[in-house]
Amino acid sequence: MAAKTIDTVVIGAGHNGLIAAAALAKAGRTVVVLERAERAGGILRGSQPAPGFRAPGLVHTVGRLRPSVVKDLRLERFGYSTIVPTVRMHAPMPDGSAVTFWGDATRTAEELRARSVHDADAFVGFDQKVRAISSFLAYVQVALPPDPKSPSLADAIMGLKLGKAFRDLGAKTGHEAVRALPMAVADLVQEVFELESVRGPLCTRGVLYTAMGAWATGTAQVLLNDSAGTDGGAAGTAVFARGGTDALADALEAAAKARGVQMRTEHDVVAIRTRAERVAGVTLAEGSEVDAPLVVSTADPKRTVRLLDPVAVGPTMHWRGENIRQPGATARVNFALGGLPAFHGGDPERLAGRIVIGPSIDDVERAMDAVKYGRLSEDPVLEATIPSLTDPSLAPEGKHLMSVLFQAAPYQLRESTWAGEREHVGEIAIKTLERFAPGFGELVEAFEVVTPLDMEERYALTGGHIQHAEPGLDQFFAWRPLLGEARYRFLFDGLYLAGSGAHPGGGITGGPGTNAVRKILKDL
Amino acid sequence: MAKRYDAVVIGGGHNGLVNAAYLARSGLKVLVLERRHILGGATLTEEIVPGFRFSVFSYVVSLLRPEIIRELQLPKHGLEILPLDGTITPLDDDYLWRVNDHGKTIRELRRWSLNDAEAYEEYGPLMAEMGRFIKPILSVPPPDPAKLSPGEWLPLTPLAKQFRDLPRRLQTTFIQLMTMSAADFLDQWFETESLKATMSASGIIGTFQGPRSPGTAYVLLHHYMGEIDGAFRAWGIPRGGTGAIAYAIAGAALAAGAEIRTEAPVARIRTQGGRATGVVLESGEEIEANVVMSSLDSRWTFIKLLDDSVLDPSFKREVLRYKYRGSSGKVNLALDGLPELACKPGKGEWLRGAISFSPSIDYIEHAYDDAKYGRPSARPYIDMIIPTLVDPSMAPPGNHVMSCFVQYAPYHLADGEIWDDAKREAFGQNVIDTIEERFPDIRRHIVGHQFITPKDIEDITGLSEGNIFQGELSLEQLFFNRPVPGWSRYRTPVRDLWMCGSATHPGGGIMGAPGRISALEYLKEKRKGRRAA
Repeated sequence: MAAKTIDTVVIGAGHNGLIAAAALAKAGRTVVVLERAERAGGILRGSQPAPGFRAPGLVHTVGRLRPSVVKDLRLERFGYSTIVPTVRMHAPMPDGSAVTFWGDATRTAEELRARSVHDADAFVGFDQKVRAISSFLAYVQVALPPDPKSPSLADAIMGLKLGKAFRDLGAKTGHEAVRALPMAVADLVQEVFELESVRGPLCTRGVLYTAMGAWATGTAQVLLNDSAGTDGGAAGTAVFARGGTDALADALEAAAKARGVQMRTEHDVVAIRTRAERVAGVTLAEGSEVDAPLVVSTADPKRTVRLLDPVAVGPTMHWRGENIRQPGATARVNFALGGLPAFHGGDPERLAGRIVIGPSIDDVERAMDAVKYGRLSEDPVLEATIPSLTDPSLAPEGKHLMSVLFQAAPYQLRESTWAGEREHVGEIAIKTLERFAPGFGELVEAFEVVTPLDMEERYALTGGHIQHAEPGLDQFFAWRPLLGEARYRFLFDGLYLAGSGAHPGGGITGGPGTNAVRKILKDL
Repeated sequence: MAKRYDAVVIGGGHNGLVNAAYLARSGLKVLVLERRHILGGATLTEEIVPGFRFSVFSYVVSLLRPEIIRELQLPKHGLEILPLDGTITPLDDDYLWRVNDHGKTIRELRRWSLNDAEAYEEYGPLMAEMGRFIKPILSVPPPDPAKLSPGEWLPLTPLAKQFRDLPRRLQTTFIQLMTMSAADFLDQWFETESLKATMSASGIIGTFQGPRSPGTAYVLLHHYMGEIDGAFRAWGIPRGGTGAIAYAIAGAALAAGAEIRTEAPVARIRTQGGRATGVVLESGEEIEANVVMSSLDSRWTFIKLLDDSVLDPSFKREVLRYKYRGSSGKVNLALDGLPELACKPGKGEWLRGAISFSPSIDYIEHAYDDAKYGRPSARPYIDMIIPTLVDPSMAPPGNHVMSCFVQYAPYHLADGEIWDDAKREAFGQNVIDTIEERFPDIRRHIVGHQFITPKDIEDITGLSEGNIFQGELSLEQLFFNRPVPGWSRYRTPVRDLWMCGSATHPGGGIMGAPGRISALEYLKEKRKGRRAA
């Protein structure tokens, strides 16, 4: 029955799927969201590493969610609120000291003064530079990527809005932006700061959720994009959803339903059907079909291509689709802790944001070297958060929940299998944390590991990549995920890509979903 | 009373000489000043071991712009380029040997992988097409992105149009080449490790990056842009070594009326009221000129030769933060006979081309890892040629010279250590050990050697930090960011001081394009000025 009235199918109830569905429903479409998991929410859906402990999903902060999304969907009305600690990043060092990056750059600078006057003086200026370039990237993130076949490419790329935004930067910052974007994050920080204890932690921002090292061209752009449209600046954001990322998932789901979106969980789309050059609908695992003239896929691009009939896609495009780079290299570890870990130089205020283990450029680079050889890093880069510090509802009284990003944990292991390595990830994480938070091991009551392979199986992230497609310069803006398929319409009329694999990419921003709907409504 | 010239060119390397030749041809009174007793800079042939002439630094030619060969009539001035045929990659008990004979190469690849043999048939033409598309970039001065006035983009408009009109597949390839790592790019096509490694090696030569570093793919293209008699993908060596190129260009410059002085090191560039008025030699001699053309890198030009007071602090900061990071060394060997490869004994034609020590991507990546952490590679990538097999004049009869380009040898060593004689010796011996693994009899044949570290490259040629491209060819230092962001068009903040070396667009390699384009730019501006006046 419903199949008749439905005119829009959204594949995947992740944040982008829910945001796109809600926006399309608001525009008068009859939308059904098909989600293979038991619940909507995608990577925002967390877990319980132990009774009474509520861990976030694959990401643990939500500072990049577009304010416009929060406003348009009235997420507050659906119970969404955030916690914004004063601290952004706390970086314990092997020597027992630590560097803290505050929301207030001058406070960071003042604390740095004791270590290096040079870096203290440089920090505020660097923070401003990051903000200036990021403010330009914020325009890029909302922009519809140009059509490489457009009459004047130069104009299209430097087109009106963007061009203006770019010129508004002024010549000096303009040059800085052009220079910084293709840089390696290690270069970006090395030429400004002299302390490894400042360089290393900042570098982690360029490599987290990627398979790249600190010396990889384009990692500066990862850092800068992470600060675009937020007040992240040099240190990045540290914003938590009250009640955990699940609370955001609940709010998004409720908002979509309030707009009349039909939610069908445990509905696994196994094929996207096309007729001639148009999309016709989708086929579900149990064989039933849903017809619709408009199909919006928030599955990763490689998966989306694989859902299509290879013959209809054609050999060249299929080859290109299979070559979209989705090298997952991030694992997650959630710890149920008996108490607050004693991180070097830490106190509850300093530990309330992101705690970063990446004490030097070389440490970050070495950790990521492992990807190249298909090994697990023995000295990983870690980003930990202890959301229970600011949100006691996430752990039993007096205890703490700690969420950890672990890199590098490449999806493609050469000499072992993920079945064998899962526990190992936890052990390495504990061993590493012990060095920066003595006594950490004794606090661990329980832990759970989510490997890239788990991510692929649980969240249908091909290659186990949280950002769907690697955020390298080769899968950026007008060619994310593929040149000529970056304007959300994907391969067939009526089929759109609206997930993290599309511009502006991964992270809890709502950008792809929002941009895609703008284009869809224009095309209709 | 100081001598007066229309133009003084600092540096007698190939770009300085090309620049001088073009200025002289237009009737300008030009003087070239070379610090050393010999011309060529890094394009240098020198008899290091008696009777053995080495192409000391750069060792092959492929990118030398054909319009320069034509316009300067270099063959008339003695330039003769002998083609190098093929590349062999020695492996433990096998080898990969590609030659210019396409059919032969395909048969060889079939030995390894039918897929790769097939892909190779598609890959070559595709890359050649890309090369033809990208070549225009090498001949236009880059635009200034922060201006974006139509005028600025004009030179590129045809390019944008060409790009738009390219088939989607070529557009994609272009973007990928500009942004991907050589390894990722090649992984799309090939599966044979030794093939991918040997191809990707061209992406890392002279850079401080590894085959898995994003941005290394585009150099793969250079191979297909190399031209000898218009033939794509051709590599060769000049008869008499790469120094012969410099002397052919010098011949053209002299014929056009330029003066060239060697052993005339410039101490500083004279300025007056913010404009360059000439140079002062270390001897104290003063030379006046309407324009000073520096073929040196930006660090030399602005930090060493210019008086601090004429530089705007923010510009100076840009110059100082420009990355050099030499990453390569050279080992030149004098041999009393031809060594044999363990994996392919005999003295056949496979030794006449390039011999590439690049068995796998991991091999090169490991070599890079060492350098990243400040150590010379334990097992370096070596790009070896034996010039005497194509040009016997380089050594006494029956003897040979072996040229080994070695990566990586980082200029900056770990823990602040510096290159000294002991480290140079260790570096050289380690390279010979690496060679011995493929040429077991190499040590028996060595009668003389020259070990060159990045520090030596800096000391001998003046290339800062021994970077053979006058600046790291990383994406953010290309095109409109060479040699200093905002000053990509050969001019400098100091009026009448221009740059014309590899530091400027389109960059390094024995290409000559920077020297030529800068000269033409200057002449154009001069004409404008005259019209204005």
